[in-house]
Amino acid sequence: MAIDRRLLLNIDWVMLGAAILLALIGVATIHSATHGGAAANLYLKQCALLGLGLVGLVIALSVDYRRLADRALPLYVAAVAALTYVLVFGPRIAGTRRWFVVAGLQVQPSELTKIVAAILVAKVFSEVRKESLGLADVLAPGAVIGLLVLLIAAEPDLGTAFCLVPLFLTVAFLAGLRLRAILGLGVVLAVVGGVGWQYALKDYQKTRIYTFLDPSLDPKGAGYQKIQSQIAVGSGGLMGKGYGKGSQSQLGYLPARHTDFIFSVLAEELGLVGVAVVLGLYLLVLWRALETAQLARDRVGAFLAAGLAALLAFQVVYNVAMVAGLVPVKGLPLPLMSYGGASILSTLLGIGLIINVRMRRFAN
Amino acid sequence: MRIYEDLRGMQTRLVALQYAVVLGLSLLAAHFWYLQVLRGRHFRDLAENNLRRAVPIAAPRGLLLDRKGRVLVENRASFNIVVVPEHGESVDTTVARLAHLLASGEAHIRERIARRDAPFRPIIVKSDASFADVAALEAHRLEMPEASVDVVPLRSYPLASAAAHCLGRVGEVSDRQLQSPDFADLAPGDLVGQAGVESQYNRSLMGRDGLRRLIVNSRGVEVAETDRQPPVDGPNLTLTLDTDLQKAMDQAFHGRAGSAVALDPETGEILAMTSTPGFDPNIFSTSVEPALWSRLSTDPATPLMNRVIQGQYAPGSLFKVVTATAALEEGVITPQTTFYCPGYLSIYGTVFHCHKAAGHGVLNVQRALQQSCNVFFWEVGVRLEIERIARYAKMLGLGAPTGVDLPHEASGLMPSPEWKERTQKTKWYAGETVSVAIGQGQVTVTPLQMARVAAFMATGRLPRPHLVKAIGGVPVPLVESPVLPFKAATLAAVREGMRAVVGEQGTGLRAQIPGISICGKTGSAQVVAHSVLARHSGTEAFLPHGWFLAFAPQERPRIALAVLVEHGGSGGEAAAPVAREILARYFGVAAPGSPTVAGLVDTEQ
Repeated sequence: MAIDRRLLLNIDWVMLGAAILLALIGVATIHSATHGGAAANLYLKQCALLGLGLVGLVIALSVDYRRLADRALPLYVAAVAALTYVLVFGPRIAGTRRWFVVAGLQVQPSELTKIVAAILVAKVFSEVRKESLGLADVLAPGAVIGLLVLLIAAEPDLGTAFCLVPLFLTVAFLAGLRLRAILGLGVVLAVVGGVGWQYALKDYQKTRIYTFLDPSLDPKGAGYQKIQSQIAVGSGGLMGKGYGKGSQSQLGYLPARHTDFIFSVLAEELGLVGVAVVLGLYLLVLWRALETAQLARDRVGAFLAAGLAALLAFQVVYNVAMVAGLVPVKGLPLPLMSYGGASILSTLLGIGLIINVRMRRFAN
Repeated sequence: MRIYEDLRGMQTRLVALQYAVVLGLSLLAAHFWYLQVLRGRHFRDLAENNLRRAVPIAAPRGLLLDRKGRVLVENRASFNIVVVPEHGESVDTTVARLAHLLASGEAHIRERIARRDAPFRPIIVKSDASFADVAALEAHRLEMPEASVDVVPLRSYPLASAAAHCLGRVGEVSDRQLQSPDFADLAPGDLVGQAGVESQYNRSLMGRDGLRRLIVNSRGVEVAETDRQPPVDGPNLTLTLDTDLQKAMDQAFHGRAGSAVALDPETGEILAMTSTPGFDPNIFSTSVEPALWSRLSTDPATPLMNRVIQGQYAPGSLFKVVTATAALEEGVITPQTTFYCPGYLSIYGTVFHCHKAAGHGVLNVQRALQQSCNVFFWEVGVRLEIERIARYAKMLGLGAPTGVDLPHEASGLMPSPEWKERTQKTKWYAGETVSVAIGQGQVTVTPLQMARVAAFMATGRLPRPHLVKAIGGVPVPLVESPVLPFKAATLAAVREGMRAVVGEQGTGLRAQIPGISICGKTGSAQVVAHSVLARHSGTEAFLPHGWFLAFAPQERPRIALAVLVEHGGSGGEAAAPVAREILARYFGVAAPGSPTVAGLVDTEQ
């Protein structure tokens, strides 16, 4: 399917540029975090993954988003099938089942499920033609998304599973869900959370939450990451210790420093200035994404762009807040910057879909 | 067909979301400002704490050298296994792993960890570890960032038990010592001198530990050194001891219990000092097993006691040189004054027997010393009276510590009416004077005090005995020894008597070495009454301690000596031969034959 030349002119180069810049800053930070160790060439791998992700992005923007939305149901079925397959047949790695291997590639279906969920939610709510929605109106879509949440949470991968909640709430809110109903939903979630705490959470997950509340309970265990990350961030100061010169990062005090805690490395080495630049770039991406939702020519496009923006916003805010020690440590990568193929691929696919919506705002 | 949907209702909500994102990210940025700018210093300190370690470099203790510069005590390299529990996962896993790797008891390791006084202070869990221990630990270096191997100098005593009491020993500073201000800057596990010269000069010998400031990674592995303050080595101490004489003195006892000390009579330098039975100080250099410690410290033979300065014995007939000096100096007798010894003396309604039943006949002070006649000294003592005897004894250094540079010196006892009144609230009996005049009764002395008396008889001065000649090559100034204003004739007469002791008919004939003019005096310190000894003549524990004191050569004295053989019998039989062996070694006379004892009619008491 050839792309109309006119469409190319309408690509959101600002958002795309900001996203690519963030990814490149991510590559540089990965290099700094790993250059001394055994995994010194990880940044090259990340470059390759970034290239792959950009290919995915091009594919994602070349297919009309409405045709994708029309195929939401088969995509959903495929996602449920893949998640179920992983749960049953996936290799057990560090106590979790999150991946399966296809042609030598590790595939993490939960990452792609986020995109599928965004398409599905947009499609479902675009069909609802009501000025204002009550709780009853969102029960059915909620159950459909809830299945995905449960399947991912069972791996277990609570971080990714929880990402789908803000996605769903944001689109429901835009579709006209009354504020009172949102509050009611909050109560339902709290009850479900309470029951989940009692019966669903594993001990290590409870421990993490306990030690978040009081890190000194276990300074070498779960609390250790939070303490060391805060030290890295705080000791960076205004200007940072210099690229490649962060003692926390370079001497190995910071755990998961090229993946979930990549932002600590940045904060330590480039200081508040680096933090402000990167947060500014994320803000630009999110601002343009929500602007895209406003410009979209139809409800499904608006819901898709806004849902994907919510997904991205939640991950960025949660990861950065975690690095600053504000929320419990969860295995949530920082979109675009953390090392890892599944995350960067799904993020760039999402950005491709947002651009897709924006560039087709005039087209029929 | 183009269908434009009505999206207006959504626009407000989207704009609200946009500003929610701006607000959220701004709040996050503000929190980073708080962490990085407002609390930046706090977190920088924490980061520094993470990566910096201060590791002490143990200063080697100063060596102990003999008077000719030969090594008496040295240091050898040894390995300590140390642990900083904060760098491990938990104390429990640390203890379990160490116990497994070092094949040692968990309780022992746990107890040592519990003793440390400050966090992050390395704790020695095993001293003088074997190569196997070190290899086992190094192989698990990565799993145990909290444990490491320290190379430290360890105290080594090549002479082993010879001179052990004098040199002393080192040991870990005790909890009680840590309470005292002298040891305030030390940590549990530090080695300090615990006896002898090691203890007396501990501060000087310790030097000052150095410090390395390191950067370590999260596994505790050293990445770089940022600063190094080199340790200040403890200075070497040059002792007054002569290794050859020391060994000879140790051997001269042939395993019998006793003690001996030799002085340079001019300066008071201690040339050799032996106390037997002894111990091997090497076993104390690391943490000593409690069982071994309790065995040594409760042994009835008291191997840890330095008998030279802590053994307090009746001087017996050695005291006659004191009585003679006092009597001559006070004019109670002249060198020519004679008394008649019929074999006994009847006085204060009691009959006292001389050890020679037939009597010594008529003798002057020289012959009385030579044959150790009791009657002569009873006669003299009665005329001197106790106050004057005590005064002279104190002038010669009895009843008070000599001031030797060793810890825990005993003072002995010189009784007097004033002392008896004060301590026992009873009057002095004239009969007691009779006992004191021949060194019995309540008089007690240490061998070192008697060696000093010998030095006085040799030179007319009372030197301060000491062991350290120089510290770090700088000579220690001599304490000026006072000249006692005695008449030349007094000392000449006593010396003549002492010379005669080591000759034909003298009680110290067994100390004789042809060609060397030895002056001496024998003595026996009774441990039980004569009647008891007579009934149990075979029981060694009831035999008197044999004494011998000597100086030589008479013309220009170079050595003053006191020898005591515990339960050896008479001084002439037991102690004089020991003295002879020591003096022969000192004067370089090779194994002289034992002089004949034919004609030696009596053995003094």
